[in-house]
Amino acid sequence: MDIMISGLRRRFGRVEALRGVDLEVPGGMFGLLGTNGAGKTTLMRILAGVLSPTGGRVLVGGHDLTTRAGRLAVQRRLGYLPQDLGLYPDLTTQEFLDYIGLLKGLDDDTARRRQIGELLDMVGLADVAGRRLKGFSGGMRRRVGIAQALLGDPALVVVDEPTAGLDPEERIRFRTLLAGIAGHRTVLLSTHIVEDVAQTCQEAAVMAAGRVVFTGPVTGIIDRAQGATWEVVTQGPPPATGVVVSAVGRPGGTHYRVVSPTRPDPAAVPVQPSLEEGYVALMREAVPS
Amino acid sequence: MRSRFAAVCRYEFRMQVRKRSLWVSTVGLAVLIAVAQGDRGPRHLPAGTSAAEVMGSWALLFSMLLPIGFGMVLADRLVRDHRIGAASLLASLPTRPGALVAGKYAGSVAATAVPGLLVLLVTAAGEFAHRGDLTLFGWAVAAFAVVLLPGLAFVAAFALVCPLVVSAPLFRVLFAGYWFWGNMLGPAYLPSLTGTLLTPIGDYPASWLMGEKALYAGDSGWLSFLRPEPGGGAALLSVVLLAVLASLPLAFAGPLIARRTSS
Amino acid sequence: MSLWRYEARRAGWPACLAAPASLLAALALAAASAGFGASPPSVHGVLLSGVEALVPLAAAMAAVTVVSVDRCRELQLALPAGYSVTLGRRLGVVAGIGAALSVLFSAALRLTGSWTGPESALASALVWASPLLGLTGLALLVAVLGRSVVLATTTVAVVWLCQQLFASALAAGVWSRPFFLFMTSRVGVADGWGTNRAVLAACGVLFITTALLLLRRPERLLTEEEV
Repeated sequence: MDIMISGLRRRFGRVEALRGVDLEVPGGMFGLLGTNGAGKTTLMRILAGVLSPTGGRVLVGGHDLTTRAGRLAVQRRLGYLPQDLGLYPDLTTQEFLDYIGLLKGLDDDTARRRQIGELLDMVGLADVAGRRLKGFSGGMRRRVGIAQALLGDPALVVVDEPTAGLDPEERIRFRTLLAGIAGHRTVLLSTHIVEDVAQTCQEAAVMAAGRVVFTGPVTGIIDRAQGATWEVVTQGPPPATGVVVSAVGRPGGTHYRVVSPTRPDPAAVPVQPSLEEGYVALMREAVPS
Repeated sequence: MRSRFAAVCRYEFRMQVRKRSLWVSTVGLAVLIAVAQGDRGPRHLPAGTSAAEVMGSWALLFSMLLPIGFGMVLADRLVRDHRIGAASLLASLPTRPGALVAGKYAGSVAATAVPGLLVLLVTAAGEFAHRGDLTLFGWAVAAFAVVLLPGLAFVAAFALVCPLVVSAPLFRVLFAGYWFWGNMLGPAYLPSLTGTLLTPIGDYPASWLMGEKALYAGDSGWLSFLRPEPGGGAALLSVVLLAVLASLPLAFAGPLIARRTSS
Repeated sequence: MSLWRYEARRAGWPACLAAPASLLAALALAAASAGFGASPPSVHGVLLSGVEALVPLAAAMAAVTVVSVDRCRELQLALPAGYSVTLGRRLGVVAGIGAALSVLFSAALRLTGSWTGPESALASALVWASPLLGLTGLALLVAVLGRSVVLATTTVAVVWLCQQLFASALAAGVWSRPFFLFMTSRVGVADGWGTNRAVLAACGVLFITTALLLLRRPERLLTEEEV
């Protein structure tokens, strides 16, 4: 299910959250990176039909999201995991999924229950199916969230910041889960955690200040820092120019990795950039401090 | 201890006083009262009526409806701490629950008192325009202190604490019903608290200011020992009793919050 | 059927208990009145107020809660079921409880000879149905327009209270009489009673329809905190 966005704008009072977003998302797993406040969640909400755009056009699988009919058509084939997924604490996992399944139009009781069972196995929650959602950990809540998103076998899955706040083990587990479901559908993963995109997506876009500042293969982000990534070993203070991406204290001095268009220190040596450094270089270009 | 109480009170005041709904409901109700009070309202009191009576009448009129809005505003205040996840953070602080509740209570009363006092001062300015009596402003403050403020303090205590037990939606229903039954339902018609010293709309203090029975103060009815003749002493007793009653729910607030946080 | 069961749980126990609690309050008040020597017509008036005044107040306040509080609202708005339909089910549960209790309560009053409302069954239903529709519709409209629980509940409480306070003036005025909520318990089945019930019900339907139309824009339901 491909997504085509052109000139998309969204305003909240005096704040313009989206300032003319142009983006094409093909099938498969697609990452959307950006700082907090870049407009990612607003874009996700528009794609999920939760918010209407102030201007511009959004076509999802050929359906125009600015119309009510278009929104409904997309929602019939959508799985959505919002950033702040509130769960109904009085329901058990099984009941919550059953309820959402009914609201998704899965009226055949047997088929719905079978699908819920399969999804609970897939997300590793089968043994807590009868437990109330109250008291679930962050990771378990996200897994319930992805299970509900996958109910009804949606063609488009939109997940907003799914790994924020999770421990490393749970994050890896969740990423693997997401990558596994992308086979025959479009999965749009919005996050500010660069590593999540690096590990799961081949294509990505980067947003800054309400605009898309990069679209293309993930390696293209790395290219932005080619020739602009340096390592400096010093016992003094960090280099004054550029952005320090990492600092590791060792016996001979602190090893700094710095993103800077110019050599930040006479002793700096150029190194091969990582995705994170490419992202930092891109952000420096898009939003100069 | 005192500085913690003051800090909680100050920030609670700031949070509440910034609520758009507090001001919208106050202005809406004040305008409604000013416009729809009918021929017997204080707007139509004859020239030469004492400033105390004019402002006492206005205070009583505002006191009938303004606390409704304030009660609705405060009904989800403590429940909201749990909903947005702030309760655990507050519970982890070295400040004792009692100081927290007292600070939140005082801040809430102060926040609802500001629009209440402003409404009375604006009214005094309006009355001053055609009565030309400067003492109206002084009596506005006095009427606020003895008629409106005790009622606000009473409502704030129950509105903060009761929703912890019965939930905010159920409290709002019961509160609206109680306000009519306990303040304005004539005691001759049905057994009610109307006209007793425990009437939070300030029937007794208003009667004292006006020099005559304002509404039902002292009318015979249920609980006759709470229905003395209106006057200065009875007005003072009414204010004291309301303050004592308001402290009752506050005494239970700490344990109730602790129970909710730990569950 | 299971969806309705889920929605009943989503409406929440306070919303479902509001109507029974208000009728219990009416019973308690009536018992207290009788105990303190109130005349039978006064006691019957209190009981009738239970269905005409208290149940609509409870339903209206519960409706505000149903529309304003949902932990899963963002997810609900992304589902194809249509959130306004989902809310409609929850409101239906609240209204259904209020209606069922009112019917039972009215029947019990008839059986005990305490009923002072109209004789016919349809007209009896209008004793509670019209104010329930009117007040609940107003509550919904204000909740959707203002996106504020406080504003909506204050409006409901003030309208209800003002109608109680100025009952005689409202019942006497030519223009205000059709909009008076408590015509049966405060005036009786007098001239203009049918018009009053019809106008209240029509207002309720108008308010509810307007609110539902407004809800077609999904973000109408996101509060300021959620946006």
